[in-house]
Amino acid sequence: MANIAAQRIKREFKEVIKSEEVAKCAIKVELVSDSYTELKGEIAGPPDTPYEGGNFVLEIKVPETYPFNPPKVRFLTKIWHPNISSVTGAICLDILKDQWAAAMTLRTVLLSLQALLSAAEPDDPQDAVVAKQYKDAPDMFRLTARHWTAAYAGGPYSNPEFDSKIRRLADMGIESHDARVALSSFNWDLERATEQLFS
Amino acid sequence: MGFDLARFQGTVDEELICSICSGVLEHPVQAPSCEHAFCSACINEWLSRQPTCPVDRTPITSSELQPVPRILKNLLARLTISCDNAHCGCTELMKLEVLSSHVDFCEHNPKRPVLCELGCGLVIPKDDLKEHNCVKELRAYVTTQEKKLSEFHDELIEQQITLSEVRRELSFVKEFLRAMRSSHPAMRAIAEQFEKDEVKRWANTLTKARVSRWGAMISTPDDVLQSLIKRSLSESGCPVHIMEELMRNCHERKWPAGLASLQTRQRQRREYDNYVCRRIPGKQAVLALACDNPHMAEDLMTEPGLVMIFALGIE
Ligand SMILES: [Zn+2]
Ligand SMILES: [Zn+2]
Ligand SMILES: [Zn+2]
Repeated sequence: MANIAAQRIKREFKEVIKSEEVAKCAIKVELVSDSYTELKGEIAGPPDTPYEGGNFVLEIKVPETYPFNPPKVRFLTKIWHPNISSVTGAICLDILKDQWAAAMTLRTVLLSLQALLSAAEPDDPQDAVVAKQYKDAPDMFRLTARHWTAAYAGGPYSNPEFDSKIRRLADMGIESHDARVALSSFNWDLERATEQLFS
Repeated sequence: MGFDLARFQGTVDEELICSICSGVLEHPVQAPSCEHAFCSACINEWLSRQPTCPVDRTPITSSELQPVPRILKNLLARLTISCDNAHCGCTELMKLEVLSSHVDFCEHNPKRPVLCELGCGLVIPKDDLKEHNCVKELRAYVTTQEKKLSEFHDELIEQQITLSEVRRELSFVKEFLRAMRSSHPAMRAIAEQFEKDEVKRWANTLTKARVSRWGAMISTPDDVLQSLIKRSLSESGCPVHIMEELMRNCHERKWPAGLASLQTRQRQRREYDNYVCRRIPGKQAVLALACDNPHMAEDLMTEPGLVMIFALGIE
C-alpha cells in the first residue's frame, strides 16, 4: 500500500475513533486487515427514518491511490433503499464517485451515508424497483424498509402481517430471503410474488 | 507528501497539516481564493485528476497555486522534527527549516557516500559497505574498463581502415587533377590552389625551428646525406609534387643569388635570421618554405622553398 494512503488511513481511523459520533454510537470503524487496505464500517440508522434502531455494516476497501481516488464502499447488511442495491449492497452516492475530494475522510463518508439513509434521492437510483415503490407507494416503502431493518439490521419494529406472508412462502419451500425480496418487490401482494417465484 | 506527524515534538497545529496526505505540510502552496494549503506534490497530484480544491471544490488549476503566507512558513520552520535517519540510529532533533541540510550530512544516512578504507579506493554508499568486497568490485571495474578498451580498439581499427580508404581516394583525385591541369586552364588554377593548401597543411604539422649557427650550413651535401633528408621529408608527409624540387633546392648550385656563394652568405648572414624555418623531423636540417616566407627578399627565396642542411646548431 502506498505510503500516503497508509498514513491517511491510520490517522482517519483515529479520527473516527475519537469523534463524538462514536461516543453517540452513530458510526464505527474497525480494521479487517493489518495493512489498512480493508476496513469494516458501521452506521446507526438515523432517528425518524425506517432505518431507526438498525445497525448497518459496510465493507470499505481503500485503493492504492487513496486519497486521490475514493474508497470503495458497499453495504454488507441488506437494506431497502432507492440508492442502495438490495442485491449487492452497491451504493449510488456522488461523493463515492465523481464528487469525491481528496480532503474527505472515512468519517465524512460514513456521515454522508447516514445522511443518505435520511434523505434518499429516488431520481438517481441504484435499485430501480425500490425507487419506483418509493415514489409510487411511499407508505408501502416505509413499511418495507422498516421490515428489512428489523430482519437484517436488528431493528425493533417487526411487522406480523409481512412475517406471516413470508412464512406462507417458506412453507412452500422458498428461502425466507427470496420470499422477502419477491414480496417487497410486489408491494407484499402474495399472489403476484408467488407467481413470480414459481414462473 | 508531508512529514509524518509522529516525527514532531509536541502538538502540531491543524493549520499546518495537509488535508490530502494528513502529514505536516512539505513545500506548501495554497489555493488562490479559498486559501486552503497543501503539500505541493499532494495538490498537484490531485489537480492532475480533478481541477478543484479538495476541501471545498472551488475550481483551481496547478498554475493558479500560490506561495503560502510568511507566517505559515515561519510556523512550519519552527517545528521540531526528528531526523529522516532516526531508524538508522540518528537521535538528533532539529528545527524543520534545517532538516534538509542536516540530512545531507547526517552520518547515519545509509546512502552517504564513503571511501572504502580497505585499499580499493572506491567510493560507495555506506549501507553497501558491509557487503562490499574490494576484489570483486575491482574485478567488475576492470571488466568494464576492458570492455571499453576493446571497444576503443575496434573503433580505432575501423578509423584506420576508413583513413587508408580516404588516402587512396585522395591520391586518385590528385592524379586526376594533374591529368586535367595540362588541358584545362580553370582546372589549372584549382589544382594549384589545391596544391598550395596541401603544402600549407603539411607545413603546419612541422615544428618551427631556429638556426643558431648559420655558418654550419652544408652547402654541398652528398647523395647519402640527401637521401637521408629525403626519407625524413617523405615520412613527415611532404606532398609528392614538391618533394623533388625541394630536394633539388638543398644544394648551393640551385640556391637563389642571396645564398649562392660563400661570400654572399657571409655578407648576408644577419638577413637569414628573418627566415621562418621548420624542422625536418629528426635531422639537423630545416625547411624555409616560400609560403612561410613571403616577407623575404626575392634573392633569398625560391619556389617552393629551400632545404638547408647543417652540421649542428638547429633548435
Ligand atoms: Zn500533503
Ligand atoms: Zn540525522
Ligand atoms: Zn573496498
